[in-house]
Amino acid sequence: MCRSKRLSALVVALVLVTAVLAAAETRKELRFKVHRRASVSVANQFGPISVKPSAGKVVLVTAILHSDKAEIDESHSRNRVSVTTHLLPGADASTGQVDYEVLVPADASVTLHSATGPLRAERLHGDVILEGNTANVDVRDLSNGHVHIKTLNGPVTLTNITDGHVEITSVSGEVALNSVSGPLVHVNSNSGRIVYDGDFGGGGEYSLMTHTGDIEATAPAYASIDVVASSTQGKVVNDFPLQPAHTSFAAKAGTAFAGTMGKAASSVKLLSFSGKIHLKKRGNNQ
Amino acid sequence: MTCDEFGRVLPELEGGHHKEQQEHLKSCSSCSDLVSDLNAIAQQARLLTDDHEPSPRVWNSIEIALRQEGLIHQPRPQLVPSVARSPRWRFAWVVPITAALVFGAVLLFMHQHLNNQVAQQPSVSPQVIEAAAQSSQASAVLTDEDQLLNVIAARAPTLRAGYESDLRAVNAYIRDAELSARNDPNDQIAQQYLLNAYEQRAMVYEMALERALP
Amino acid sequence: MTGARKTQSDKLSETEAIERAKQGDAEAFETLYHLHKRRVYSLCLRMTSNTAAAEDLTQEAFLQLFRKIGTFRGESAFSTWLHRMAVNVVLMQLRKKGLAVVPLEETIQTEEDSPRKEPGAEDSKLAGSVDRLQLERAIADLPPGYRAVFLLHDVEGYEHNEIAHLVGCSIGNSKSQLHKARMKLRELLKTSRAEKATKP
Repeated sequence: MCRSKRLSALVVALVLVTAVLAAAETRKELRFKVHRRASVSVANQFGPISVKPSAGKVVLVTAILHSDKAEIDESHSRNRVSVTTHLLPGADASTGQVDYEVLVPADASVTLHSATGPLRAERLHGDVILEGNTANVDVRDLSNGHVHIKTLNGPVTLTNITDGHVEITSVSGEVALNSVSGPLVHVNSNSGRIVYDGDFGGGGEYSLMTHTGDIEATAPAYASIDVVASSTQGKVVNDFPLQPAHTSFAAKAGTAFAGTMGKAASSVKLLSFSGKIHLKKRGNNQ
Repeated sequence: MTCDEFGRVLPELEGGHHKEQQEHLKSCSSCSDLVSDLNAIAQQARLLTDDHEPSPRVWNSIEIALRQEGLIHQPRPQLVPSVARSPRWRFAWVVPITAALVFGAVLLFMHQHLNNQVAQQPSVSPQVIEAAAQSSQASAVLTDEDQLLNVIAARAPTLRAGYESDLRAVNAYIRDAELSARNDPNDQIAQQYLLNAYEQRAMVYEMALERALP
Repeated sequence: MTGARKTQSDKLSETEAIERAKQGDAEAFETLYHLHKRRVYSLCLRMTSNTAAAEDLTQEAFLQLFRKIGTFRGESAFSTWLHRMAVNVVLMQLRKKGLAVVPLEETIQTEEDSPRKEPGAEDSKLAGSVDRLQLERAIADLPPGYRAVFLLHDVEGYEHNEIAHLVGCSIGNSKSQLHKARMKLRELLKTSRAEKATKP
């Protein structure tokens, strides 16, 4: 009996606390009318930003402010929309958090900045620039636009990105590329691991480079690539039977290889200073 | 001359018309209107002004890159982030810089004081003087990175360790890449490592200056 | 830079700034940047219709210039040299993006690109009512290939032989693309004017 009373009191207290917290949150909605190829930027120190396509030529921003220590500054001039979280004195990662959900026309160019993130963008055709310190970056189903990502320590995941330039710079965040192809795919990592699973298609230029991070690239048996892989101080493993290429690059068993597969449509560089590199062949049953 | 024929030669005309074309323009209001419109568009285009201005971030990034590449030979006068134009904390950067200068001045004074003492009392150990001199030289010189980390520590102490670790990682990359490039100046892969390493360093600086501060 | 230093920078002439920049003077670099940033950025913005890309290209153009400033001997105007560099940076970026700056096959005409069979038929005249703001918007709506040639010729003042050399096409192709760009702009401006007229 005594225990059930204590339990009831605890539940009531929890409900009250939740209500108080919810009351401290403020929801703000912004709407901007734009034309084709609008430019939308959101800068948010703490909290997630998610961007999806909208139905018409309109930018819709829904922001949830976790306390009154943060304000939202907005500006709209011609075809350019900018939303910035303005932190007031005394704000920290918790009280300064704002959660953004943004809907933009699919052809808009989007720029997102956040220290903690996460940052998400999907189903867009315009250029996408994402920058975060420790933010988890997740981008999917983009085509025809440039994708630029900069992160210090946050992991980056790209899924189904085609027909555009992809440039990623990371210090220690892991970079995972699933079904990413296009005219240019460049990843510049320091100690973060790079994992590629795709077909190196599109006759593009693929460059995955790290200082100490490992590189694991998985491609199908029918991949059409001209590949160079080298690790100055690490190991290099290759599952593919490569045709020798006419090149001055010096292959060295265990640390460097070069060659072509199929029509060598795409150029692939897998380079690490001291990480391990593995070019894997995807199984026939996959 | 028909409108079709006129339309075909129109791309080649640059304001000058042959007699036949002039005759057609006199007799055809449609083609005449078209030529007027196209000329008006070209004229208005010439009057378009260059009034678009890039954000301050562009110059910040250029300056960082110039310093990284050694094209700027002067020490940075002060470390002011691009958003420092906001009046809220315009002069707040003075605090760590002033502290560093005062500290350096104190060490210099101590160094001179020690020298004076040595002159007056030859029995003071030379090792003490040497240690003081080295200490003052090492401490009085603050690198760009120290200044950057000091500013971050002053404003967002919780972020300092992270940036310090990142800078350590990219500096290690630069060292390894420079060594490779020095060993074989023709090695294009080594050159690419070096470019990548500098790009990472520029990114860390840019992020630290732009978003490390609330 | 503080306000005081900026005033001091303005007082540096371009020639002085160039010489001092060659010696690695930070203030000189900044002076040169501020003197020319609007022109370079406006070019990049009009060519790409994207502020983020335009800022990246502006940065790249100035960096390339500053890296080579030691080789500048004054054979041409500094602004011309910088401008040419900016144009090359933008065109290289367009090429990298896989966009044909100028289509090689000039005889292929698509429905939306080709001029009408009866030039000017049944349309009221536009001349005298070309609004600068509307023109900027219409330029942003041009296909990239048309936009590049139009900007280089009509806005930046390059001749066709220079454009042909820059973009790697024939002079005839450059003229043809310019004409198509102007025709397309005419169409866009008329549509825009008609839309404005029908709004309450």
